[in-house]
Amino acid sequence: MSAAVELESVSKRYGDFRAVDGLSLSVPEGCIYGVLGPNGAGKTTTLRMILGVVEPSTGRVSVLGHGSAMSVRERVGYLPEEKGLYRKMKASAVIAYFATLKGMSRRQAELRARELLDRHGLGLFADVKTEALSKGMGQKVQVLASIAHDPDLVILDEPFSGLDPVNQGVLEEIVRDLKERGRTVLLSTHVMAHAERLCDRVVIISGGRSLFDGTLAEARRVVPAKVRIRTNDSLEPLQDLPMLRELRPLGDGRWEFELEEGADPQAVLEACFTNQVRLSHFSASEATLHDAFVRLVGPAAREASYR
Amino acid sequence: MRNALLIAWREFAENAKTRGFWFGILLFPMIWIIGAQVPAFLAKKGTPTRNFVLVDRTGRMSAVVEAALERDEKRRQGEAFREWASARLVPGGSLPPVKGEFDLGRALGEVRPMLRTNVGNFESPSPRFRRVEPPPGITTDGDLNVLEGDLRSWLREGRSYVPVDGKVPVSLFAAALILEGKSSNAAPILRFWSENQADTALREKIDNALSADFRLREYVRLGIDPKVVSRVENARAEVVNLSPRKAAGEERVGIADLLRQWAPSAFVYLLWVAVFSIAQMLLNSVIEEKSNRIIEVLLSSVTPVELMAGKLVGIAAVGLVMVGSWIGTLFLVGFWMAGSAASSGAAAGGASRLPLELMTLLGDSWILPAFGLYFLLGYVLYSAVILAIGSTCNTIKEAQNYMGVIVLLMMVPLVAMTFIPRDPNGPIATFLSWIPPYTPFVMMNRVTAGPPLRDVLGTLVLLVACDVLAIWACGRIFRAAVLRTGQPASISQMWRWVRGR
Repeated sequence: MSAAVELESVSKRYGDFRAVDGLSLSVPEGCIYGVLGPNGAGKTTTLRMILGVVEPSTGRVSVLGHGSAMSVRERVGYLPEEKGLYRKMKASAVIAYFATLKGMSRRQAELRARELLDRHGLGLFADVKTEALSKGMGQKVQVLASIAHDPDLVILDEPFSGLDPVNQGVLEEIVRDLKERGRTVLLSTHVMAHAERLCDRVVIISGGRSLFDGTLAEARRVVPAKVRIRTNDSLEPLQDLPMLRELRPLGDGRWEFELEEGADPQAVLEACFTNQVRLSHFSASEATLHDAFVRLVGPAAREASYR
Repeated sequence: MRNALLIAWREFAENAKTRGFWFGILLFPMIWIIGAQVPAFLAKKGTPTRNFVLVDRTGRMSAVVEAALERDEKRRQGEAFREWASARLVPGGSLPPVKGEFDLGRALGEVRPMLRTNVGNFESPSPRFRRVEPPPGITTDGDLNVLEGDLRSWLREGRSYVPVDGKVPVSLFAAALILEGKSSNAAPILRFWSENQADTALREKIDNALSADFRLREYVRLGIDPKVVSRVENARAEVVNLSPRKAAGEERVGIADLLRQWAPSAFVYLLWVAVFSIAQMLLNSVIEEKSNRIIEVLLSSVTPVELMAGKLVGIAAVGLVMVGSWIGTLFLVGFWMAGSAASSGAAAGGASRLPLELMTLLGDSWILPAFGLYFLLGYVLYSAVILAIGSTCNTIKEAQNYMGVIVLLMMVPLVAMTFIPRDPNGPIATFLSWIPPYTPFVMMNRVTAGPPLRDVLGTLVLLVACDVLAIWACGRIFRAAVLRTGQPASISQMWRWVRGR
């Protein structure tokens, strides 16, 4: 599968400040790709460089096989982090306007705007000025404006911020629908739950550098899985098992193990069985993306907040 | 190109929907209507009848004052009648000249054949001043201090009362007390009490009546014929106003020449209002896109140059429509007034010829072409700067700090407008013409004065060069600043952007 977006050691400096520092990543076509990171990590700057709105100081950007997103702008859709619309324009007119800027004819764009609003339950608000819409509706209109021209690549900067859980769900639907139709979605967020539910791959950046780049399963493996058991037998026979990293007594015969990276919790169960350690409780928990994020970013993010 | 036009069209369409735009379109006709009609309307209807108490301690002067006020009132009624009648004349009809004191019955009889049928009745305007009896309980022949004290409280409290000779309650506007002069040969003294010190008409009328009467009696006493005095006082030197710039035989300076001197000032003002109001629109439009971050979406679709160009063209179109409508209104009103002045067959007096002269002047001078040219060049210069300012600020409030400075600088041509017409090719006017931000206004002001060709072309070249430079420099600031958030940029930061660092 070819890459929809590729960055090769891209940096962006503002004066002495390095917003992005030697970042490389590759977004495969047709996937949902998450850019994760704490506040000020360089997510927005990265997205802006991909869009061609900001020129990288060094490095190479490739979007849909072109050197600049501007030359394929009709095939790219963008939702910025801070949301806003022309307050005095009607919802359908706003969507149509942005679609015409992306190369659609005026007639086509107006039809498309109404169709999108109808499909997403805003048909009644097509002729309402955006200042009269609720925040959630306004944000929906903006999302629709970013996809009205049916782009191959959609870039969403913090799309979930400011939405209630119901509307977050609606937006997740829209994103999944894009993927089903073979589009590539690049989204940034610092809410791990969304990334976990949606993304195929994620990059975790902090301080402008990439800390992790891979699939969700790979990300989870960054943090060791944990196993909890309860037994009245001695744990002597288990001490030498190579997959155990740390053994912590929790009292009352309960123990917690941290496993080596990639170790299978089933192997622990098996070892207990063969060594005749009788268990009255066994549970294995896999790490979440949240755990991985905190482990990777935690020290840097805390440091950053004291800077 | 397509994108710039799309942006321009949106700017035009959205601004054309705003109240500000329509207010701007209607501004000029409104100012004209308000300026021309309202004072006349107010003078006719706005001022209520002023009731006053007249206490005459001399015993002779109340008759003099009342006679003078009566004459005035008659004249006022005569004017109102002529105005009423002139609007109801049959085609080709004209009013007879005024003779003697106005008398409604006689005037109606004279004019009736000239009027259309079914014109209704003439309603006399209510009198401006009416002498009323003093409030109850006030005796006018007692002690002066007591009398004034009583009148004073009535005036201050503005209480109304029904005078003994009337039926309707009145409240007092003033009390006038006429006392004997200090000596037997001195003029009488007028003590005028009123809460309203702004409306001086009544005081002046009483004053004039008393003074004229006193002077007349003095002349008689000194053995001088009052007729001689009046003839001498009315004699004037004969003045012929000539201009050396006009052809032989036509040197006489008329209203057209005054107009030629002062009309450009009106256009400078128009230019100033136009440039300013649309610069404000431009600022609002940039700040809106910047504050709600639409600018990011735009810049992911169009280049900064397309965005800037689209905005400039779109808002310029708004401005041109606005200015075009102003000038169109001017022409319409001018032709209408010229037409009505001609048809009513009024004497070729100054005021009625004014619109016709103005139309002629606009037709055969450089005023309109210069206005169009300087509007565009001035607009480009100021709007480029405003785009740059808008791009560095996040809110209108932040932008106001910079705008304050610009407004201050822009006051100069407005102030200069008052003296440049007196010396349009003098050193100050010439100096100001060569400062590019002022060139459009000052050169506009000099346009009918035949400025030297060196000034016209030189300042034009400088202005165009300055426009190009402003677009270039402000484009750089715009590109660097427009995505920034946080603090507005400092001047030194902007300078670094211009230098491309």
